[in-house]
Order: sequence, then C-alpha cells, then structure tokens
Amino acid sequence: MINSIIKYGLFIILMVLLQLLLFNNIQFSGYVNPYVYIMILLLLPAEIPAWLLLIVSFLTGFTIDMFSGSPGMHSSATLLAGFSRPYVLRLISPRDGYDSGSGLSMATYGFRWFVIYTVIIVFIHHFALFYLEVFRLSGFFRTLLRVILSSAFSVAFIVLAEFYRKGRK
Amino acid sequence: MKNLLNFLVRYNSLIVFLILEALALYMLTAGNSYHNSRLQKGVIGLTKNLEEKIYNTRSYLSLREINERLALENSALKNSMEKLGHKENNLFLTVSDTLLGQNYQYSTAEIINNSVNKQKNFLTLNKGRRHGLDTDMAVAGTRGVAGLIVSCSENYSIAISVLNLDFKLSSRIRSNGYFGSLSWDGRNYRYAVLNEIPQHVSISVGDTVETTGYSAVFPEGMMIGTISEFEKSGSDFYMIRVELITDFKNIKYVTVIDNLKKSERIGLENQYQ
Repeated sequence: MINSIIKYGLFIILMVLLQLLLFNNIQFSGYVNPYVYIMILLLLPAEIPAWLLLIVSFLTGFTIDMFSGSPGMHSSATLLAGFSRPYVLRLISPRDGYDSGSGLSMATYGFRWFVIYTVIIVFIHHFALFYLEVFRLSGFFRTLLRVILSSAFSVAFIVLAEFYRKGRK
Repeated sequence: MKNLLNFLVRYNSLIVFLILEALALYMLTAGNSYHNSRLQKGVIGLTKNLEEKIYNTRSYLSLREINERLALENSALKNSMEKLGHKENNLFLTVSDTLLGQNYQYSTAEIINNSVNKQKNFLTLNKGRRHGLDTDMAVAGTRGVAGLIVSCSENYSIAISVLNLDFKLSSRIRSNGYFGSLSWDGRNYRYAVLNEIPQHVSISVGDTVETTGYSAVFPEGMMIGTISEFEKSGSDFYMIRVELITDFKNIKYVTVIDNLKKSERIGLENQYQ
C-alpha cells in the first residue's frame, strides 16, 4: 500500500516535470500542443475510489495551471477526464473484468484495449482544455483540428512510454 | 434523513466532481481574463522564481545571437546620436530643462516567460513595481511594438502580448496616414489583422504600419509591421494582413516605455467623455 503510494507519487512528479519543462515548450505550427501529463490518470489502479481519483486529477491540473499561468483551465479539463474515467472503463471493460491490485497497463490488458482507452480519455481531456482556452465557439473547426492533432501527438507519446514500461518488466 | 444519506453516499463522486469543477471554472473565469490577470499576482511571486531559474540556464544558448542584435542596435543608436549632435550645432540655444520636454521615459527589461501558441498570450518581464514599472506602460521589442503591461508585482510584470485576442492597437499606414485598429486573429504568430481602413484609400503590399499615439500609451510612429496582403471584403473596409516586425519567437530584451504626461492627458480627455 505505502509502496504503491510512493511509486505513484514519484510517477506523478515525473510526469508534471516532463510536461512543464519539455512538452509545454513544443510549439509546432500552433496546432500541436501535447499535454501528456494526463497519463497520470490513465495508469492509476482500477479500484481507486472515485472521489480520490477526482482529487488527484484536480490537484494535478491545479499544479500544471499554477506553472502555466492559466488558473482553472487544466484543473477543469483534467477533472472532467478523471470524472469520466470510471464510465470509460465500464464501457470498454475486458471480458473477465479488471484485476484488483494491479495497475491498468498495456501488459495486462493488451495493446488494442490500451490504445482505445488512451484515445478516449485523452480526447475528452484535450477537447475540454482547448475549448476552455479559446472560450468561444467561433472558429469551432479550427479548434477541433487543434484538439485532434494534439490528441494524436499525446496518444503517440503515451503509447510509446507504455511500451517502454512494458519492455522493462 | 436516511434517504438523504443514501443519496449522498450513492452520488459521492458526482458531488465531489461538481464541487471541484465549479471551483475550477470559477478560477478560470475569475483568473484568466485580461482585466483580471492581476488576480494572479500572488501566485506570480511563487512560481516565477523557479521559471526565472530555468530561463537563466536556457538563455546561455542564445547569447551569440543576442550579442549580434545588441551590436546592431548600438550602431543604430550611435548613428542617431551623431545626427542629433550635428543638429545641435546649428541651434542657437540649448535646452537646459530636460524634464520640460521629455515625454517618454524608456527602460529595459528581459522577458522571462513567453508563449506564441495560445490564443491569449502573455509576456512575463523580470522587472516590476520596484524598478518603476506600472500598468498601462508600453512594451516594445528591439524593432517594434510587443505589448502592454497589465499587471505588476514587486519584482515582475505581466504584459499582454500583441498575440492576444484581447489586444487592440490604434495604428495607421505611414504612407497615407489613414488609421485603423490592429488585432490578432489567433492563427499565425507572424501576422496580425488591420481593420477599418476604408476601401477608397490606395495601399500596397510592403507599406509600413505604425502606431498613432492616439492611445497615450505608445509613442507616435513606432513601427508595427508591413502589409503582407490585403483584399476587399464585402464591407466598406479592407481586410489587411500585417506581417509583424517583432518576431515573438525570439524576443528577449524589451524596452518599457512610460508616457510621463499620460495621466494629465487622460484626465483632460475624461472630462468630455
């Protein structure tokens, strides 16, 4: 129990630093802004209580917000992703359900399952985030394009990172 | 009572979600708008310190380019000084009261945080109220307009960048003097849009766009950019795309310009509005 708290704590700090120091500086034609810190939510264990998941999401988003000077933006988007995670998990649950005790990983549930799961959550998060950022509906499709391109980039990174994790085991 | 408890237990995640989301949305609307960016002041002091450290290490990488640009600017300044000197020789009297004629005061600052990829971009400067900066001062890059200070703490300032949907600037075309309003459309960080130039005016690609001085913030005649393309839209006005002279991706040192007579002028103008 203590062990896994430390493990996830270190992972959260690592992802936040990675986001702030590396991915916040990727500016590719103004359309691609990957936000990979959402991986924190993806990997938390399946049996985590919903309220704890929400608090972790909020605090993660809040930290990112503080350092990017955009109060509330990442908090609300990450919170929405955290709120929808249990429903997404139920929607795409494998035939024999989720094992308790092990985290959600590609190694356990397979490549296909992991990609679908990542795409849905990342898209929800990026969709909320980019529309909250522009805060208007004019230019709807341009924002949608930004959402899709950035999501593709984030998903690619998360899947690659997950492959790396899988390879180490 | 039992029903209420049951309800709370059953929907606990929804309730936590709604409370936190409301809090986040409140922060979003209260903290992000251009007018309320001063709310961030408290946080700025905390996080900008770290940011400055990161920035300091990073700035070593571009020292060479900055040196070149400073040398260029130096030579330009020397040239203009030379011109001034000659002029003075032809005058009969020298003005000893320099404050009387001084309209603008310039000081330099360094940009320690900047972005071009958002819809509402801000610049963070490494000087604040302690160094004499204040809100509503103009910020200029080495070659032209860059932004406007909207919030100051003791040691840092936040300036709204030209690349911000909320930024509007009164500007005119140098060749014919017609003025309009310049703003950014959120697409390309190199281009802004100039509106309200009537279609009977003849303009051409490459014309210089400069500030008007109507706003009491920017000095008159400061370079903004050049016209890169224009088209006649359905209305009476041109759609003009202006290529900005300031490249926000490599801007580093800026000049902060304070209009010393601003409050006097605005006070007078307000009497009739």
